[in-house]
Amino acid sequence: MDADVDLLAGMPRLGPLFARAALPSLHRGPARLPRSTAVVTGVRQDVARLADYDRVCGFRVRDAVPPTWLHVLTFPLHVHLLSGPESTIRLAGVVHVSNRMRLHRPVAAGEVLDVSVRAGNLRPHRRGALLDMVGEVRRGDEPVWEGVSTYLAPGARVAGEPEEVARPAVEPRSPIAQWRLPAGLGRDYRRVSGDPNPIHTNVLAARAFGFARPIIHGMWTHARLLAALDARLPAAYAVDVDFLRPVLLPSTVGAWWQAERGGWSAAVTSRDGSRAHLVARVRT
Amino acid sequence: MQLPRTPVVVGGNRTPFAKAGTRYASAGNTDLLTAALDGLVARFGLAGSELDEVAAGAVLKHSRDFNLTREAVLSSALAPTTPAVDLQQACGTGLEAVVYVANKISLGQASVGIGGGVDSASDAPIAVSEGLRRALLAANRARTLPERLRALASIRPGHLAPVAPQVVEPRTGLSMGEHQARTTAAWGISREAQDELAAASHAHLARAWDAGFFDDLVTAYLGVSRDTVLRPDTSVEKLAALRPVFGDTMTAGNSTALTDGAAVVLLAEQEWALAHGLPPLARIVDAQVAAVDHVAGDDLLLAPTHAVARLLARQGMSLQDVELYELHEAFASTVLATLAAWESERYCRDRLGLDAPLGAIDRSRLNVNGSSLAAGHPFAATGGRIVATLAKLLHERGSGARGLVSVCAAGGQGVVALLEAV
Repeated sequence: MDADVDLLAGMPRLGPLFARAALPSLHRGPARLPRSTAVVTGVRQDVARLADYDRVCGFRVRDAVPPTWLHVLTFPLHVHLLSGPESTIRLAGVVHVSNRMRLHRPVAAGEVLDVSVRAGNLRPHRRGALLDMVGEVRRGDEPVWEGVSTYLAPGARVAGEPEEVARPAVEPRSPIAQWRLPAGLGRDYRRVSGDPNPIHTNVLAARAFGFARPIIHGMWTHARLLAALDARLPAAYAVDVDFLRPVLLPSTVGAWWQAERGGWSAAVTSRDGSRAHLVARVRT
Repeated sequence: MQLPRTPVVVGGNRTPFAKAGTRYASAGNTDLLTAALDGLVARFGLAGSELDEVAAGAVLKHSRDFNLTREAVLSSALAPTTPAVDLQQACGTGLEAVVYVANKISLGQASVGIGGGVDSASDAPIAVSEGLRRALLAANRARTLPERLRALASIRPGHLAPVAPQVVEPRTGLSMGEHQARTTAAWGISREAQDELAAASHAHLARAWDAGFFDDLVTAYLGVSRDTVLRPDTSVEKLAALRPVFGDTMTAGNSTALTDGAAVVLLAEQEWALAHGLPPLARIVDAQVAAVDHVAGDDLLLAPTHAVARLLARQGMSLQDVELYELHEAFASTVLATLAAWESERYCRDRLGLDAPLGAIDRSRLNVNGSSLAAGHPFAATGGRIVATLAKLLHERGSGARGLVSVCAAGGQGVVALLEAV
């Protein structure tokens, strides 16, 4: 088991890593993922960056950190795993299609954490392959947060019949809130998340991937929706989101949320509520 | 309904106070106030409760925070249907907010509410210069392109410098420290007396922290669990080494430091509190505001002496009937000048219109658990800190014990209140 643990001395820096993760994979054979779990222990949270993250996403600066911030802490390990030689899939070019996370208990900004991520569940998709990046944040022996980011790797080859992935149907409805997303939002979120993917900040890069303008990071949209629920969220909860359509920058979007048994359903939509960019379900 | 009803202090909560630009540098007023509210909600089991009103304010306030308190309520664990109001009376804000809620309770307009305040000197609003502001407003009003260009052309390079808020009296151009330096000299307050008062403030506050006094009055925030201005090891000797910054005797050691923090007080109608299992600490008996004409030369920070005289007269009390005195330490010399004024036959006669001086007080009953010199002074948060501290102190002394709160404020104003242990 120990052989499968890739214990890093510290959080990898994203700039150089991302450069490698951005190189297109020339691999033509069956897709392959790293087998090891990347682990960094003793991670201290940067309170100033956390506060900056809170502001960019609309959260209050609280002692208890947002669960999406814990995802941000795991993100360098996503890049690490999907830029290494064991992986035929490169992070740049994959599409974040859905995300699940569970916060087991409130996590304080002052807590020192152990962070780990492993890649797995590679499965065929009609456009390539799906894979899961499974993150875990622990305080000693106690797991405090788990997250599963599901990415689509277009063109990747995996044996087997593509499974049909159900995408949630969202009925059009009037938004409760309207958010104006400025053109520079991608740069702001890059600063606080460390995700340097240029499709979020650069028009040419965005065009290269088929978008008319830069798109905001899906995890910003996710975080912004949780920030809107603010004190209505319980102390510990699970949240699942599906990223249905990218949000171009700048733009104005709508959002709605609705209490339901055991939690909330919510969505970020077009301004008029007719089309959904992201749907979320919060469960206690 | 029988009027008036009795408003009581049930308890309080604050963040630890932190020196400006340090541990809370990245938090704003709404964050700090939310943290203070949530700590209070947790302490008294109010999650999801709809209170009648929350009143609070900030002295250094961004224009975008026009509904600061309401926004903090919405971010707190209180029911989102809890109304809120922003108040502002310079450093009197926190106490005035407590009085506002207490008065509504007296009148039967509320049964339970929260009063308090917050200030972040770290996250102070920076404004554009007046010239730039006027040019931008004119350009915004302009209907044609030439009009707009003419408006924008009036901008000069000098207009582009940002303007930070200053603690300067608009009508005198003097900072609060400069005003107080005049008062200090006029009353002949010595450097030694100021340093002694400052050292006592630190010693008292440190002892109260060590004794666990603040365990049910403060909730840690962003890894800070004690007031960071507090220097338990300071002494008259160490304070004597500091060089004066205002006048000849006022130093950074005997003046309050710029501080970030928030403090709130839970207030309720006495019967309501008992019926809801919330034992009251102290009644809010009375309150008074007053102002002096500092533009005509009055001592800027001695307005509370007027308020105290009126309040005592209305209550038929002498100053010595009070068991505990909480005099906000804007500067050590403010407290000492206030004591001197109370003792001065001439001041009490000529300024306060009294037949006899209010007299000396027992100094061992003054700021017994320290005050703003040691705790720091996030302007609007100070009133809430003092009221919660005094209510708990009075309650410990037993039913009937009375305590006086006196807070001076910019603009030559003062807010005072009388509390009585339940």
